[in-house]
Amino acid sequence: MRTCALSLALALALCVGCSKTPEPAPTATSTPGKVEDLPGHESLRHDTSHKEGPRTLSAESYIRSYLFLFGGLSPIDTQAALRGSGTTNQDNTLFDSWNDYLGALGVPDYRDDIARSTQTNALMLAAFERIGVALCDRAAERDLKIGTTPAIVFTFQKTTTLPTRAEFDTRFDVLHRRFLGYPAKLAPTDRGTRFFTLFTNASATGADAGVRLTGQDAGWDAVCYGLIRHPEFHLY
Amino acid sequence: MTTRRSLLQLLGGSLASAFVPWRALADTTNGSSDDFFIFIHASGGWDVMLSTDPRNARSGIIEPPHTGNMTKTGIRLWTDAALGDGNSSFGLVQPKGSNLAFGPAIGNLSNYASRITLFNGLAMNTVSHPDGTVFSATGRHLAGGRVPASSIDTIIASELGTSQLLPVISIRFPSYAVDGIDARAVPLKVDSIGAIGKVLSRSTRYSTAETRDAVTLMLSAEAQDLAKEAFYPEPHDNFGMQLDALRGILSGNLKDAFTDTTLKAKYPTFVYNNSQSVGAVNAAFALEAMQRNIVRCASFAFSGFDTHTSNYGDHAMSQQDMFDTLAELVKQLELLPHPTKTGKKLADHTHILVVSEFCRTPQINLQGGRDHYPNNSAILISPKFKANITVGSSDKDQLLPVASRAFANGVRAAAPPDVLATLLSAVGIEPATFVRDGEVIKEILA
Repeated sequence: MRTCALSLALALALCVGCSKTPEPAPTATSTPGKVEDLPGHESLRHDTSHKEGPRTLSAESYIRSYLFLFGGLSPIDTQAALRGSGTTNQDNTLFDSWNDYLGALGVPDYRDDIARSTQTNALMLAAFERIGVALCDRAAERDLKIGTTPAIVFTFQKTTTLPTRAEFDTRFDVLHRRFLGYPAKLAPTDRGTRFFTLFTNASATGADAGVRLTGQDAGWDAVCYGLIRHPEFHLY
Repeated sequence: MTTRRSLLQLLGGSLASAFVPWRALADTTNGSSDDFFIFIHASGGWDVMLSTDPRNARSGIIEPPHTGNMTKTGIRLWTDAALGDGNSSFGLVQPKGSNLAFGPAIGNLSNYASRITLFNGLAMNTVSHPDGTVFSATGRHLAGGRVPASSIDTIIASELGTSQLLPVISIRFPSYAVDGIDARAVPLKVDSIGAIGKVLSRSTRYSTAETRDAVTLMLSAEAQDLAKEAFYPEPHDNFGMQLDALRGILSGNLKDAFTDTTLKAKYPTFVYNNSQSVGAVNAAFALEAMQRNIVRCASFAFSGFDTHTSNYGDHAMSQQDMFDTLAELVKQLELLPHPTKTGKKLADHTHILVVSEFCRTPQINLQGGRDHYPNNSAILISPKFKANITVGSSDKDQLLPVASRAFANGVRAAAPPDVLATLLSAVGIEPATFVRDGEVIKEILA
C-alpha cells in the first residue's frame, strides 16, 4: 500500500513537471502590475497615506552638495578656486562670491531681515546655472585640460579622439552615477542619446569658438553642467 | 526665442517647494493693467516731525527738532525759528499754492506737493519694527511671528501683474505672498539690484552662450519627459517652464536693467553719492523696468532712520536724501513716455506709496535720539487720488493719532489697512478680498 502511494505521488510529480504550459520566458521589458498579483502578496497591507510629490530642498543643501561633489573644499576655498585667485587662470567673470548668489537662491539674510524664499523662480534657476557652470568649467579645466591627478569629477580616461557612442556611454555613466546617484541606463528618459548629442555639438562648438575648453573637454564640461542642473538633481 | 507667454508662465511659477497652490495657467484670468506701482519702505521708523507732520514748537511732551538735538547743516529748506533758549527749530515749508505744510527734510519733494496725498496720524498700535513693517505693508499685525496676509505689492501683482515678465521685484521691501496669491506673483525678493545682475552674468571664456542655451533646452525636454512618467507631474512641468523662462532672460539684454553701472549711466540725474545711494539705484531700476514694461510693481526700501542715539543728528539728512530721490523719480515719470499707452507719460499711470513702520518719539531720550512711537504718516502719489490734501492728523501735545473720521465701526483715526484698502479700491481691486480690516476712504478718490 505504501509503495503504491509513493508511486502515485511520483507519477503526479512527473505530470506537473511535464506540464504543457511552461513558465514565461523573461523578457527585456516587464509591465508593472498590481502588487496583489505577485505570489505571496495577496494580503499585503498597502500604505495609502498621502504622499508628497518631488520638491526642491533648501539652497544650503545644494551648496553643500556642490562642495562635496567638486572636491570637498570649504566654501571660501571653493570660491577662490572658482575665481582662480592667485593663478594665471584667474577669471573674475566666471564666479563672483557665494554672498552674491545667496539672495537669488532664497537663503535668508538675517542681517537685513530677509526671510527664506519658499518658492522657486527663474532667477533661482539662473543662480543655479551660474554656479553649476562655474563649478564644471573649473573641474573640466583641472581634470581634463590640465590633467591634474587624482581627478575629482571626470574620473575616467579621455579617448584620444572624440568618443564613439559606446565609449561615451561608459564615461557618461560615471558622471551620471556621481551627480544623479544611479546608472544612466536606468534613466526613465532617452538620456544617453540626448547627452551624446549635446556632447557632440558642444565639442564642435568649443573648438570653433576658441574658448579655453575645446574639443571633448568642452563636451564633457557641458555634460557636467547638464547633470548638475538636471531636474533629478534638484527635485527630491 | 521664448514667447512672452512662456516667460510669464515661468518667472513667477514656483516649483515643488512652493507652498502657494499652483493654479492651472489656463484658469488664471487675472486682469492685466497698464498701470505701474512703486512701493517704498522708509526702514527703521521715520521722524514725521521733520517732514510730513512738522512740529517746530514745544508743546506737551513734544521736543521738536532743533539745533540742539540735530544737525541742520546741509538741510536746504531749513530756516531758523527761534525757540527762545538759544536753539532754533525750523520754519514750516509751505510750497506756494499748496495746502500742505512740511518740515525741512522734505527736500525737493516739496516741489511736487500738488501731487501728494498725505496721510497723517495713522494709528499703528505697535512700536515693534517687524510688526510695524508688516502692518504697514499688509494691513495686519503679526500673528505671533507669522505674517497673516499678503503685502500690497504682491496683491496688486497677483491681480494686475501676472501678464508681466516680473510681476513684482522686491528689494528689501516687506513683500509677502500668503493665501489667494497667484503663484506667478510670488515676489522676487533680493537684497540689491546688483545681485540680480550678477546672477544673470555669464562668462564666455570657458563655455559658449550657445552651449549653455543648448543645455538648458535639453534640460527642459528632460523635465517634460519626466513629467510624463511622474505620478506628480507638476513639479517637473514647472521646472521645465522655468527653464524656458531662463532661456528668455539670458537671451536678451535684460541684465542691463539689473546692473548698477548701466542704471547709473542711463539715469544720471539721481544722486548716487549720498546716504541713500542704494535707494537711488533702486529708483533708477524702477524707471528702467517700467520703461521696458517687465514689471507691474517695483518695491524697495530706504534705510537709516532707526536713530535711537546721537545718530538722530543725521536723521534729517537721511530723509532729505530719500525725498530728493523720490522727487527725481516723480520728475522722471513726468518726462518718460508710457511704454504701451501712446501719448501718455509714465506719471499718468504710476502709483507711488511711501510707508514706514512707525514714527519716532516726540521726546528726546537720554542718548540724544528718539525711540519708537505708534503714530505714522504715509505719502501717496497717484493719478487716482485727490492730491494736495492731508488725511488725518496727530494731536498737538502728544503726536498721537486723532480719531477724526467716521468709519463704519465708529469714529477713529485711519490706519494702514484703510490706506491699503483705498489704494486697492482705486485701481479696481476688491479690497475686502485681501485686506480684512481696511475701509475705503472714498472722499480722497479722484
